Amino acid sequence: MKERTEILISGFGGQGIVRLGQIIGLAAIKQQYRVTMLKSHGTEQRGGYVRAQVIVSREPIDSPIVEDPDYFCAFSTPAYRRHVDMVSQGVIFYDPSSTEVDEEKVKKITHYSVAARDIAIEKLGQAIYTNSVMLGAMARKMEIFGKEILLAAMLDVVPKFKEENARAFEAGYQLIK
Amino acid sequence: MDYLAEKYFRIRKTPSTACSGCGLGQTQKMLTKAIDDLDLGIEDVIWATSIGCSGRQTFAMWKGDGLAATHGRIYAMMSGLTLSLPPGKKIVCTVGDGDAFGIGLQHLLNAARRNVDATVVVCDNLGYQSTGGQYSWTTPEGSVTDSSPYGMYEPNWIQDGRDILNIIREAGATFLARHMSMDGEYGLESMRKALQNRGFSLVHVIFPCITNYASTALGTRNTVNMFRWIKSRARRMDETPDKDTIWRTGVYFDASNSRPDYASVIKGKVKDIDRRSLVK
Amino acid sequence: MKRYLETGNFAIAEAAVLAGCRFFAGYPITPATELAEAMSKRLPEVGGYYLQAEDECAAMHMCIGGALGGMKVMTGTSGPGFILYADPYGWALASEIPIVVLNSGRVGPVSGITGAPGQGEFYNVRFPTQGGNYETIVLAPNSAQEAFYLTVEAFYLAERFRMPVTLLADQLVTDGMEDISVPETDAEKAQMGLRFKDREINYGPEFYPAVDKIDIPPVVLGHNTGALCSDWTPTEEGYDTEEVEACHKHVYRLIYKVRNHKDLITRYEAFALDDDPELVVVSFGTPSRVVKSAVKKARETGMKVGALRLISLWPFPDELFWRRATYLSVELNYDGQLVREIQRACPKDSRVHFLGQCGELPGVQELLTVFQSLLDGKTISPINWQREAW
Repeated sequence: MKERTEILISGFGGQGIVRLGQIIGLAAIKQQYRVTMLKSHGTEQRGGYVRAQVIVSREPIDSPIVEDPDYFCAFSTPAYRRHVDMVSQGVIFYDPSSTEVDEEKVKKITHYSVAARDIAIEKLGQAIYTNSVMLGAMARKMEIFGKEILLAAMLDVVPKFKEENARAFEAGYQLIK
Repeated sequence: MDYLAEKYFRIRKTPSTACSGCGLGQTQKMLTKAIDDLDLGIEDVIWATSIGCSGRQTFAMWKGDGLAATHGRIYAMMSGLTLSLPPGKKIVCTVGDGDAFGIGLQHLLNAARRNVDATVVVCDNLGYQSTGGQYSWTTPEGSVTDSSPYGMYEPNWIQDGRDILNIIREAGATFLARHMSMDGEYGLESMRKALQNRGFSLVHVIFPCITNYASTALGTRNTVNMFRWIKSRARRMDETPDKDTIWRTGVYFDASNSRPDYASVIKGKVKDIDRRSLVK
Repeated sequence: MKRYLETGNFAIAEAAVLAGCRFFAGYPITPATELAEAMSKRLPEVGGYYLQAEDECAAMHMCIGGALGGMKVMTGTSGPGFILYADPYGWALASEIPIVVLNSGRVGPVSGITGAPGQGEFYNVRFPTQGGNYETIVLAPNSAQEAFYLTVEAFYLAERFRMPVTLLADQLVTDGMEDISVPETDAEKAQMGLRFKDREINYGPEFYPAVDKIDIPPVVLGHNTGALCSDWTPTEEGYDTEEVEACHKHVYRLIYKVRNHKDLITRYEAFALDDDPELVVVSFGTPSRVVKSAVKKARETGMKVGALRLISLWPFPDELFWRRATYLSVELNYDGQLVREIQRACPKDSRVHFLGQCGELPGVQELLTVFQSLLDGKTISPINWQREAW
C-alpha cells in the first residue's frame, strides 16, 4: 500500500458523516494499521458541512489532515464544491440525489455515482441505510481494506439492524465494478 | 492561658493578634467550648478558615490540622476534602461575613445544597474590617463606613424581610442558627447542635469590631457601647422584636441528620457502581 | 495492549485512572467535556469520585480538597475555564499540591470558536495565576497516544515536584480520534516507559522547607500531623507570616525545585537536525505533525530543513536553541507566542519568523512554500513577526 491513504467524507450534519469515518477507522485498526480521524463540527455544522478526515498508514501518522484525498465521498453539493479541488489522483464517490457534480471535473477525475439513497429506499425500504450502501460501494475500491473487515467494522459501530445493513452494504458493493 | 486555649490552641498563636475589644475571640471560644463539650480531640477536627479578620486571625490557632483558602473558596475546597479525609473527621470552618455572604456565596450555597458535613461559623463584624472598614452585605442600613460615607444605602442581606439564612436554608443546609458573640450558654447550645449535625451547619455570629465599625459607624471606641448597641438590636427567637431589631438569635432551622451528607451520598453510590462493575 | 479508535479525551481519562487518579472535578466546556464525561463513567467503576462543580474555580478548589485528603486528582477545561483556575492554581502552586490539569486549546479570545483548535494559551499556562514567584510544568502532547503517555507522566511529575502539572493539548488532540493502545500488563506499561509514584504523607514539622529538593511528600490532612496550609506566605512549619525573608525562602523553593530539576521534565523531538540545517521549524501540539510531514517532503526535494518539536513547554528549554540558524515558529494563534521565547533563547544573530493562524492547521504545501521563501532569504513578514497576509 501507499505510505499513507487519505479519505475524506463530507456532507451535512446529521447524515452520519462522522460515523462513516469511524467505521473506516475501526476497519483500519482491525487490520493493524495506524489511523487518525479528525471530525469537524461546531461552527462548521451551521456553515453547511461536516467533515471527517481519515488517514490510514502502516507507519505512525504525521499530519492528520487530508490534503489530497485518495477517496473523497461527498454527500452534499456544498461539501463537494468545497473539497473537490483537493483531489488530484484519487477517486470521488457521490450520491446524485444530494450532490450535483461539476462536469468539467468529471472529465479529469474518476467519479463514482452511487445512488445510495435510492437503492436504500428501493431495496430496504428506508433511507437510513444510505450510508451502508455508500460504504459498500467504497469498499469495492478501497483496496487497502478487506471487504469482510469493513463489513465487520460497520456492524461493530452500528449494532442495530445488522441484517439490513449487511444487505445494503452488499448492494453498494455490487453497484461498482 | 485558660483551659481551652491550653488544650486546643497553639502557643505560638495565643494570644491572638486581634485588636483590643474584638469579639472574634469570644466567638472562637464559643465554638471551641462546644468542641470540648462534645469530647472531640485535636485529631478529630480539621479547622478551615479563609480571608479577612475572621479567617486570618483564626488560622493556625487550632493545634491540629488547619487550612485556609483564598477569599470565598473554602466551601468548594471543603466539598472536595470531605470525600478524601479519613472517616470520622469533623470539618470546622471560621469565616467572615464578606467571605460567606459576598465573594463566596455561590460556593457556600452549593456546599449547602450538597449538605457537605461541615460546621461553618460566619463571624460577622458587620463589614470588611481587615481592609480598614468598608461596608459588606450585612452592614446595617444607614451605617457610615469608609466606603459608605453617606450611610449604607445598598440593600443588604438582612433587611426588609429578607434574610440570608432563609436563602441558605432553601439551598439545603440542615442546621442554621444566629447569635451574638456575647450569647454565652445560649450560643454554645447552638454550636453543639451544629457540630452534632452530620451535614451542612451554619451559625451566623454577630461580633463587635471596635477599631473600625464602632469608631466610624457609632462614633465610639468604647467596647461597652458597642456591646450594648449590638445587644439592643438583637432579640431571642422567643422574644418579641421591636422596631430596632435587626437580628433574631437562636436556632433558625434544625433538620439535623435528616438527610445524608454529601460524602455519604457519593461514597454510597460509588460503592454500588463499583460492586456492579466487579460483577460485570 | 488493548487498541481503540478513540479521542484524546478518552486516552487522557484512561491514563489518569491508570496513574491512580480517583477524583475528578470539572465543569462542562467544549472541547474538554468528553474528558469529564469519560471520568464520570470510569471513576465510579474503580471506586473514584466524579464531581461536577458550580464553576471552574470551584472545580479546581474541589480538586485541592481531594488532594489534601490524600487522593490523586485531576481537572480539565478549555481556555475560558482555565482563567477561572487562576485562584486555585495559585493556591496549589504555593501550598505545593499535586494536581493534573488539562487545558484543551480552542480559539480565543474569550469564547472564541468552540470547536476548532487554538494555541493561544502558551503564556497563560506559564503564568496561570497572579503574583509571579513560581515556575510551572506544562506538557504538550501532539497525539491521543502521546496524551495518554503524558497524562501518566504528569501524575508522576505532580507527585515528585508536589505541584500542579498542566497538559496543554489543542482541540485536535483532545477531540480528534486515533488508534490508541492502552497497556494492560506491567510489562506493557514498562515497555511504554510509563512512570508511577504513589502519594506519601508529610509528617512535618517542616512542611515547607526552603530547599530545592524534590520528592518531599505534600501536606495531607486528617492524619494528625498538625499540617498547616494556606494562601499566605508560610513559615517552614506553615504558619502565616508577612516577613520578606520567609517569602524569599518560600519562593526560592517554588522556583528552584523546578529549575534545578529541569532535566526530569524537558522533552522534545528533534527531526532532521543532525546536519545543522539552515532552517529549523519549531512547533508543538498538532501543528507539529503537519510540520513533520512538510519537513520530510522538503528533505526529499533537497531543502535543508529540520524540525524541533517541544513536548514540554515550561520550564522553557532555552538550551535547545543554541543553533545559529533561521527559525520558523508555526503556531495556532495570530499574535505569536512561542516565537517570543525562541527569539529570547536563540543566538542573537539568528533570524526568527512566525507563521500563525487559528482554527485550521496549515497545510503541507503552504509550509513548503514558506520554507522555500525563507531559505531564499526572503521574509514572510514585513514587520518583526507579524503575519504577512491576513
